[in-house]
Amino acid sequence: MEQSEGVIALKGVSKVFRDFWLRPTVKAVEGLDLSVAKGEVFALLGPNGSGKSTTIKMILGLMAPSGGEVRLFGRKPDSAVARSRLGYLPELSYLHPYLTARETLMYYAGLCNLDRRTAKERTAQLLAMVGLESVAGRPVGGFSKGMARRIALACSLIGKPELLILDEPTSGLDPVSTSEVKSLVKTLSAGGMTILMTSHLLGDAQDVCDRYAILNFGRKVAEGDLKTLGTSLQDVFLSKVGVGRGFDVAGFLK
Amino acid sequence: MKKFLEILVLESKRLVRTGTAGMLASAAVAWMFAMPYLVRSDGTASGATEMYMKYSLGGVFALVTVALAASAAGSISAERDEKRLQLTLARPVRFFVVALGRMAAISLCGAAVLALATAILVAKIDSRPCSRVYSPKMESPREEALRLYDSVMQDPGIDAEIKKAPKDAILRVLEQKAWDNYQTIPKGRDAAWKMGDVDAKGRLMSVRLRFTNNFDTREKVVGVFRYGGFSGSISNVTQAVVAVPLDSQEVLPEGDPSVLTFSNRGENTLMLRPRRDIKLLVEADSFAMNAVRAWIVLSSMLALVVAFAVFLGSALGKAVAIFTVMSFLAVTEMGPSVVEQYPDALETDTRDRISLMVTRAVGKVTRPVGSFTPLESLAANDMVEFGEVARAVGEDMVVLPLLLAFLSGLALSFKKV
Repeated sequence: MEQSEGVIALKGVSKVFRDFWLRPTVKAVEGLDLSVAKGEVFALLGPNGSGKSTTIKMILGLMAPSGGEVRLFGRKPDSAVARSRLGYLPELSYLHPYLTARETLMYYAGLCNLDRRTAKERTAQLLAMVGLESVAGRPVGGFSKGMARRIALACSLIGKPELLILDEPTSGLDPVSTSEVKSLVKTLSAGGMTILMTSHLLGDAQDVCDRYAILNFGRKVAEGDLKTLGTSLQDVFLSKVGVGRGFDVAGFLK
Repeated sequence: MKKFLEILVLESKRLVRTGTAGMLASAAVAWMFAMPYLVRSDGTASGATEMYMKYSLGGVFALVTVALAASAAGSISAERDEKRLQLTLARPVRFFVVALGRMAAISLCGAAVLALATAILVAKIDSRPCSRVYSPKMESPREEALRLYDSVMQDPGIDAEIKKAPKDAILRVLEQKAWDNYQTIPKGRDAAWKMGDVDAKGRLMSVRLRFTNNFDTREKVVGVFRYGGFSGSISNVTQAVVAVPLDSQEVLPEGDPSVLTFSNRGENTLMLRPRRDIKLLVEADSFAMNAVRAWIVLSSMLALVVAFAVFLGSALGKAVAIFTVMSFLAVTEMGPSVVEQYPDALETDTRDRISLMVTRAVGKVTRPVGSFTPLESLAANDMVEFGEVARAVGEDMVVLPLLLAFLSGLALSFKKV
């Protein structure tokens, strides 16, 4: 089942947000078909409000689709078994400010059912990997945005997931850290991990991803690898999404 | 279980590190020590002790309940509003476990603060044994109301308009009257009350009572109580609540061990409400043990409030959840007196009927929380019964919070994160 459907399979998925009186307000995603195979690094691209985060939340089982079907490892996404096989890095770090870096990792290790010893080992390894061993005992509420991002990335890896979902993984990182994250994604992919990521930085996506899907206004407007889409991801993106909204900035400034 | 503990520990750290637990503990200690200087007693040593017991722990309970209800309502809702919750919910953890872990942590924090206050109370009060309280075995007020209903409806002396009132309203009025039915004891006559199964072997006994008279004035009351082979004399004034010790100094024939009698040897006819005014007290265990039982009941009541607040926080936004739980607490506190004092006892007006129905429904749901029975028992040195403790733990601490945790899980799965 998993082989034929892929790690992630979306068939005709749509999401309509409704107000208190259940009147439809926004069509966030419409008729989305998507499949991510095992070991693939897949990028979900699109401008703000294109439906990327909503799609990710439906894949994570945090939001139910209004129509269509989402499958994760061949199961419903709210299945605990399916969720035990994934790691997730949200767009912002969303850490508990009163926990230390070490406690944060230990907490998520516990939720991933790791025993105490393994959790401690992995916490130490991941703190070393993200270069935060020296501040492991400090509350993350006092961390800079970049440090918090690195802890959040470590949290997403604590359960040794088969699928890693990264929402804007390089957001808030300096160039060195960005390069480290890209290199990490490549290393994890080489180890057989499936990765789904979103990014506004097309260059970053182009450096690490095998395939891409471009969303605009909740619809998929393009999908494929660089060969099928064209040589420059930026050209494809601009042609499908548009170069601007036709606002005369120069005229406004006069 | 492991994930439940992880969430419990996480929430406990939140309460400790954000200062909530520390502030509550400090406020509780300050209140326990400051209360005698803030509240005036009736001037007697026993009155001061009773007020201290009732209002010191009562004040801490009110403080802890309001503070932790707000904290519980904001626990999940704030994390969802700040989007932090999605990191937990994206892990292989059942949503109801997320709610249950938080309920447990906040309830434990409240129970710890209450334990601290209870320990101070026990340390400050001279140890005196509590008493198990027995009331006369009588038909229940509800049974009496049902028995009298038909004769009331057929009584030509009763206004036809009153008879048009809903049956429930009439029964409620009759039930209320049943509590206040007076029994008259003319001078030179005896009165007897069946006390049921009293376990009093080798223990000290007394009778607590309050007499009045036809004119509701202070008059001397003289008489003798007898229970089994024990007796006690009273020579006091009416209207005061007095406790008459029973002993076996006076040689008496073995009486019916289950009947308490009173011989009115004074000059006046006496009256009392048997359901309210007469109790047989049998010495039970220590004040400290009673305080522990009261603490368990209070902690259970708190656990239910916290569970309800967490449920609201799972289904609603932070501000709405906090407002709703505070409104419920207010209705719980004020509802019973509104229902009792409402002038339209027979509920002939449709609007009144609907309003009272809503108030009663909320009162039913929140009844355990609105009841300060353990505090009143503790203050009167009446034993907090094991049955009450078992009911509180079973219903308020286990069954209802589990149900609310399950509903919270459902709410979390429907509410977008």
